[in-house]
Amino acid sequence: MTETRGPKTSLGEEDEAELFARAAEDPAAREQLAERYSPLARYLARRLAGRGEPVEDLVQVAHVGLLSAIDRFDPSREVKFSTFATTTIVGELKHHFRDTGWAVRVPRRLQEMGLKLSRLVPELSHELGRSPTIKEIAKRADLSEEEVLEAMDSQQAYTAVSLDAPFDEGSSPAETLGSEDETLGLMDAWASVAPAIRQLPARERRILYLRFFRGQSQTEIAEELGISQMHVSRLLARTLERLRVNLG
Amino acid sequence: MADVVALTAPARPESVRVARQVVARVAADLEFPYDEVDDLRLAVDEACAYLLSLDPPGSTLGVRITTSRGRLEVVASTNARLEGWPPAETPESLAWQILSALVDEAAFETDAAGPAIRLRKRRPDRKA
Repeated sequence: MTETRGPKTSLGEEDEAELFARAAEDPAAREQLAERYSPLARYLARRLAGRGEPVEDLVQVAHVGLLSAIDRFDPSREVKFSTFATTTIVGELKHHFRDTGWAVRVPRRLQEMGLKLSRLVPELSHELGRSPTIKEIAKRADLSEEEVLEAMDSQQAYTAVSLDAPFDEGSSPAETLGSEDETLGLMDAWASVAPAIRQLPARERRILYLRFFRGQSQTEIAEELGISQMHVSRLLARTLERLRVNLG
Repeated sequence: MADVVALTAPARPESVRVARQVVARVAADLEFPYDEVDDLRLAVDEACAYLLSLDPPGSTLGVRITTSRGRLEVVASTNARLEGWPPAETPESLAWQILSALVDEAAFETDAAGPAIRLRKRRPDRKA
């Protein structure tokens, strides 16, 4: 297939859809897409770098994730590719960390405190009818405020700079995306969704954030929030419905 | 009258943890509820990580926390070069989307050191 090399022009969305359609059979199309989104892969690799491992290794892993995303992307689903690719690439990087042993284990004491909190905080919230203060939680949990904050910090399984908990054993990046076909349609309008998200109650916002930006499964979210997976599923569905209504 | 807590640290991932914990402590003292403290920690994490990911990176990370009457403001900054700052397509960028979901206000700015991100969050009013 011949290509005219002219001055660089930005690809329109239609051109990109065409590239994706051809990517399966045409290595040149796949290559173009990979080049186009290479900055995204590099950005994510740098974001998750830390602890002394060479960034270039991570950049390579990120590019593997990018190619995987290009191959698996279904443009008919109305998800922005950048969002889809981000989840895939981050998943790939986390697998890499787990496999190469860069993940740092959380000390047992903090794990236990974290579990205690994930049970107590929803209980207390329910009793008070609002999110409790750190002081109230410390009192109920019979811990110091420092310990509560420490446990909160260690509970954060995925952060932008460090990885303190093992990635979910069973899930692949494809699974973390889940099968909520309708909800993925929202991702295209994410920029306009952000203000609506701020209107949501804190817990619902957190679930959305964990699901779509951290790529956590519903089970992982359930564990972190101390509620059942069914409950997460219902809350998620309800929240997305509310957002859809808000967006008109 | 506003209180200020400020820290300067090397531009390394470990410093982001320090910043997270300091902000969480200050927010807890202001009696921000658990969920809001957590949101703030996440927002500070994202903001600092974003600043640390600038290429070429700065050598220091600054975090300045200002509080007054149930309002908390965090300005994270780094001494990286200002070329290409603020990032184009800001509303589209992943970092901005995350930040705007977690706090009341988020803005890409410039301060004396260089690129900066300002975050603001109000303590929700408590009903009796």
